[in-house]
Amino acid sequence: MTTLHNTSTHSRPIPNPSKSLITKLNMGTGLVVGVIFAFAAYYAFRPNADTAGFYNQQNKALLAAMLFWSVGFLIGIGAFIGPFRWLIGKDLTAEEQLYLAGDGQGVKRYFKYCTDHKVVGIQYLVGVMAMLAVGGGMAMMIRTSLAVPGGHFIGASVYNSLVGMHGITMIVAMIIVATGPFGNYIMPIMIGARDMAFPRLNALSWWVLFTAIPVLCSAWFLGGIPTGWTAYAPLSVQAGPGMNAFVATILIFAVSTAVAGMNVTSTVVAMRAKGMKWNRVPIFVVGATMSVALAIPAFPTFMLAMVQTATDRVFNTGFYDANVGGSGWLYAHLFWIMGHPEVYVILLPGIAILMEIAPVFVRKPLFSYNAAIMGFAGIAGLSVLVWAHHMYISGWTPTLNGPFMVTTEMISVPTGLLFLVMLGTIWRGKPWMKLPMLGLFAVIWNLLIGGITGIYLSDVPADNYLHGSMFVTAHFHYTLMGAALTGAVAGLAYWFPKMTGRMLNEPAGYTAFWFTQIGFQVLFLGMFIAGAEGQPRRVVSFAAMYKYSNMISTGGAYLVGIGFIILLWAVIHSWRKGDIAPQNPWGAKTLEWTVPYPVPLENFDEAPIITSDPYGYGKGN
Amino acid sequence: MSSDTASHTEFHIHHDAPAVVGRRERLGVRLLIVADGAFVFGMIFSYFYLRGLNANNSWVPKGGHTLAASNGWVVAAPLIAAAIVHKIGVKSRSAVASGFVLLAMLVGGYLQWKQLAHMPFVAVDDGGRHFFEGAYASNWVVLAGANMFHYIIGAFIALGLFIRGFRAKVDPTLEYWRQLTASSWFTWIAIAGALCAITTSII
Repeated sequence: MTTLHNTSTHSRPIPNPSKSLITKLNMGTGLVVGVIFAFAAYYAFRPNADTAGFYNQQNKALLAAMLFWSVGFLIGIGAFIGPFRWLIGKDLTAEEQLYLAGDGQGVKRYFKYCTDHKVVGIQYLVGVMAMLAVGGGMAMMIRTSLAVPGGHFIGASVYNSLVGMHGITMIVAMIIVATGPFGNYIMPIMIGARDMAFPRLNALSWWVLFTAIPVLCSAWFLGGIPTGWTAYAPLSVQAGPGMNAFVATILIFAVSTAVAGMNVTSTVVAMRAKGMKWNRVPIFVVGATMSVALAIPAFPTFMLAMVQTATDRVFNTGFYDANVGGSGWLYAHLFWIMGHPEVYVILLPGIAILMEIAPVFVRKPLFSYNAAIMGFAGIAGLSVLVWAHHMYISGWTPTLNGPFMVTTEMISVPTGLLFLVMLGTIWRGKPWMKLPMLGLFAVIWNLLIGGITGIYLSDVPADNYLHGSMFVTAHFHYTLMGAALTGAVAGLAYWFPKMTGRMLNEPAGYTAFWFTQIGFQVLFLGMFIAGAEGQPRRVVSFAAMYKYSNMISTGGAYLVGIGFIILLWAVIHSWRKGDIAPQNPWGAKTLEWTVPYPVPLENFDEAPIITSDPYGYGKGN
Repeated sequence: MSSDTASHTEFHIHHDAPAVVGRRERLGVRLLIVADGAFVFGMIFSYFYLRGLNANNSWVPKGGHTLAASNGWVVAAPLIAAAIVHKIGVKSRSAVASGFVLLAMLVGGYLQWKQLAHMPFVAVDDGGRHFFEGAYASNWVVLAGANMFHYIIGAFIALGLFIRGFRAKVDPTLEYWRQLTASSWFTWIAIAGALCAITTSII
């Protein structure tokens, strides 16, 4: 048990550096300056008869407007005051820093450039929920359109854009779904830190991401994204103006990811409480850190692919145009060098959350902490050596298909270790079947199916048949949605009391769980059947022979949709009117449960010293 | 997890010892360098991949232009000089070094800008549409753009260190660590500049 006693630090005077510019800036000023910058950039780079032959003027003006919007917003909200003050040698005063931390500013701080990691965590949580709701809504439209053969609920071009927008919205949301809210709010407290290593960069990572959201939404008004989320070249180079929104979104998002990844990794490496040796770090912290550390080198290659796409579109370079020496394979390489590690960037935190939950609800120590570390490290290490399994049938160096098949299949070994840890922890235990624990059982099932079908797809002969089919769609949804998202939702149920001070409504939570999980199986098992029978993905019309499996899938999708609406209601209702949560409702042993709600500004009045591992259940301490 | 309590200030972010803050900042910058390194690696990969592929014999098309290897080294030289001088400056705790680094960034940035403004690769097709001649030209311009980005960030840091060198209000220990942190960045952009120069030397 912990022996910490915390008192609120809110009793100190509220800082009011009234002469400082930072007190006058907020989201509103950010929006105003951002819009001014966007219009100014569009005006400066607008199509011009004198230079019309040189550049693709429309793409240049739109891309400039989107990127300047982001820069303008950040200037307007005060993101660059710190660096500017550093530049001129007038560092922010302690009072200004305290003001930036949002001390005593109530709800207003959520709309400011607030450096408190807990505020940033809530901002991420709300942002992620909004993105998932929008992405989920688009998924429902896709499935409605696919309910019957030739069902033109939406037109073909809108369908294409829906698939692309759903994909990129969900990928962005899933990358941050665990490390955003919990990595920011919970993780620093779990390791006994008073804040993140770089509080101003922490706020920057959120607000940079925020600026990408309207940019991505603008694609709808510019003709949509016809390429799917992979944005393969040269299709993406030839696509209409909506593609600029995709390019700008990724460029902005990559900056946010790099900053966030650096910050989380630095915090865990450099700010752990005294006595928290590496073998005492909570497993969620390990998984989340490996995830963001993996993202640091992975995402820049995607960013480069987008830079090259942008220069091809704007300046007529020829990276992806074979007529001038380019190649679509180059894009595929750069994209998948990011793309496959990214799957594990998404997956690892979800699994780590469940490993955090399992010992608490089974009241047993985590089974083989070292195996979990080896599993995470093995997956992270191998994930950078498997990208070309997405390119088996592209014609790129067929002799290398074999080696990439081997590296891909080898990932099942460290993944097996993660299963071993989860099953070993609950083995012969008597689980306390609360909502977070249900998530663990769901993920064991879903990840098993997602993982095994992944082995089929890693196999070259099988992939020759299944590539580009609905089977692939079902496979990665089992992995990303069935495992990573379910893990994150379990994390929300687990940490909801700490983040909101209230308990999540259990009956609604259970109802949502069963609707989503049953619906999920119906939805994607139907899709596996359609894919195995040969139905290609990303097509608006399909042959009559697939009608039953598609009808089943659409039925499952509606169940999932109902489940998520119930979950959303449960979260909003419980946040406003739920039962007040005790400080440690689950009787857990990690540090976040030793602090009260609301968590004091700097988390701990007295820094903790760690003397044992966090999973000492049943050991009498 | 068992825990005990320690003194109030021990892990207080706003009260951490300057050396602790400095070490943390350097770690952060090194992680950002990893990200930037992946970007530079991607550019070099693109260069040699397309060079090896030589699709339609258009790496450098017939009659196409190339730039001499010396062009890459001309813009890499100020980066390398700045990194060396900055390292010496940190060791000798000399404030003058920041002035030289700033000058090197401005001169190098100007040279890079001049090369970009006068690149000979842009051709015109029958419809009056301008385009880059081949894959070599496309890669060259992105590598040069990355160098330009490094110069801009380097100039910002050098200007900050230069201005702060004349102000007495800064904590000398923390400032020393910030010089070390900046040194990591200057060393990296010198390496990146040299890698880009080596890359564009192999046409």
